[in-house]
Amino acid sequence: MGLKPIHFVFLSLLVIAGITVFILLSEAPPDAAGHAHESIPVVQVGGDGAARLEAIGRAPFYFQIGTIFLAVSLLYMGVARHRRDTRFRLLVAGCTLFALFVWYKLYTGYEAYLVTGDADIVFGFPVPTAWLLGGVWGSFAVFDLIFVIFFRTYFWPREDEVAFKELVAELKAEQDVGDA
Amino acid sequence: MEEMRQPIILGSVLVYLLVCIGVGLWAMRRTKSAGDFFVAGRGLGPIIISMAVFSSTLSGFGFVGGPGLVYATGMTSIWMAVCSALGYATGFYLVSKRIRMVAEVRDTMSLPDVIFARYGSEAARLLTAGTILLGVLGYLATQILAMALVLQTLFAGTEMFAHISLFACVVISTLVLVFYCVTGGIIASVYTDLVQGIVMIISGALVVITAANVFDGGLTEVSTILLTKGGEDIMPFGTLGTMAALTWFFLFGLGLAGQPHLITKMMMNRHISDNRVILPMTVLGYVVAAMLWLSVGIVMRALVLGDVGMPLASADQAAPAFLTSYAHPLLAGIVFAGLFAAIMSTADSFLNIGAAAIIHDIPKSVRGRSVENELFWARVATVVLASIAAGFALYSHYENGELVALLGAFGWGTFAAAIVPVVMIGLNWKGATPRAAVAAISASLLINFTVQLLQIKVPYGISAGFLAMLTSMILFIGISLLERPKKLPRDIDRIMEL
Repeated sequence: MGLKPIHFVFLSLLVIAGITVFILLSEAPPDAAGHAHESIPVVQVGGDGAARLEAIGRAPFYFQIGTIFLAVSLLYMGVARHRRDTRFRLLVAGCTLFALFVWYKLYTGYEAYLVTGDADIVFGFPVPTAWLLGGVWGSFAVFDLIFVIFFRTYFWPREDEVAFKELVAELKAEQDVGDA
Repeated sequence: MEEMRQPIILGSVLVYLLVCIGVGLWAMRRTKSAGDFFVAGRGLGPIIISMAVFSSTLSGFGFVGGPGLVYATGMTSIWMAVCSALGYATGFYLVSKRIRMVAEVRDTMSLPDVIFARYGSEAARLLTAGTILLGVLGYLATQILAMALVLQTLFAGTEMFAHISLFACVVISTLVLVFYCVTGGIIASVYTDLVQGIVMIISGALVVITAANVFDGGLTEVSTILLTKGGEDIMPFGTLGTMAALTWFFLFGLGLAGQPHLITKMMMNRHISDNRVILPMTVLGYVVAAMLWLSVGIVMRALVLGDVGMPLASADQAAPAFLTSYAHPLLAGIVFAGLFAAIMSTADSFLNIGAAAIIHDIPKSVRGRSVENELFWARVATVVLASIAAGFALYSHYENGELVALLGAFGWGTFAAAIVPVVMIGLNWKGATPRAAVAAISASLLINFTVQLLQIKVPYGISAGFLAMLTSMILFIGISLLERPKKLPRDIDRIMEL
């Protein structure tokens, strides 16, 4: 039995679960999820970002890589097996690389900020945050674009539309016979 | 103009509520059967569906809770919004086509119907209907309470109704909601969603322009202030940290395709080919409307941390305080109407699927057939459900907040954990088995209930809903891989080949 997309989905889930268990078993610093501002009610502050990552290292970085692979494997399953041609595989591979690149830029930018305490501002936001707002959203918006552009090739080809109409007609005819 | 602020805001909201009532009356004439009431006879066009899907996704949370979260914790919650492109992609790649085909060949009226068609399991259908019903009560109670609290705040600014009680506001909010849902069913719901979606897009676009101009230096000045006052809040993971942000991305991005009030709408379009237009319109509508979430939250945080604005007593005041102080009265009126639109567009969807669970899904699971005269009983169930939810809302406000909080646990996280594997994966993988579906739904309920009841705090801000979803997905695939797949009915088998 060869590997199918569902096996990649399952593998990604197990990797994510493994990283999650590692994080849950690591001793969390007291302010791992921030703490209350000393004088302003309701407002939380993050504190020392580097200190709260000390126990888990780069686990969040690998966690998100697992999530990207999981998401892409699931989206790949959304196209019928016999429609997945080389072009579709290349499109998915290209989009995956783009999503990984965006994530790499975001995370390494954040790590650099943790070291220097400084970040350049682009489009009104610190660079890593700009990667989040435009890049993370955009890296999956390209899948939406693929859906729109290749809709009649991969998602709802005319042959499938005809086949579905035939199925509906067939079932209706059977029901009519049954009713009679 | 400034002295007219309160009448303008209240007038905008009242005009909007009257439009909803008008739509309900118009839709009543088009609702002739239970099929019309629950799935609009599968005859809706692409613009209606796209507005209905995006406006139901955002809810009151996006307009009040979202800006409040950004005010309190910085960028962490923005991961819930930036994952929308992924969420809609999974919904349209994996669910929209197949759920619409199953709906047509099996004449299904609800999500539990689709699950029964796929797995042939009454247990799976009953568990899904039960999950939906519990979730609906929790969601509805919080949405009705939110509407009533906002209405009370607006009335408080007038002389005539300054001392109106919360009870009266709950009654008014519930009556408007029930009126158009009972008269017009899902047809009224989706056409009010159209109005609501347009109001939300206009609100989002205008507010982001206003917010960007609060400081002379625009958003760059906002970021600079926040960077000098700690900085973690304006960095990509916010104050709650990396794992809180990433697990929310997982839960909200991959969980969108498991939200029953959204994917039920994917059964209602006239042609499957309309999905090509529905997806981009949905994504763009959401992005524009969600800009309010980000812009208001960070500007209010910068104002307070930069000692320009007064601290807020609660995070949920971020959006109302911004509108009161910085928005033109007309814009404030539109946005407050948008806020009602966001709350009601989600609430009406939940009322509809909740009524379907009561009079259609649960009776079918228990005794093999639905109730007689479904349309009449659907209307009765809608009134009963809304009344119970309004009762919960008042009880939670005056007596005990834990009840609604407990039911609220059956919100996004439980739906995602219970329904994503069973629907999103199950409709695309013939190897999925009924036993795995039952195990996945049960595990998601158990984990969410346990975490809520025992008030377990997960380290690093990791979302409990994420843990439930991860567990249910692993169980679903793992159990299915260990079992011999059940032979699928011919129609479902052929649908899954397309």
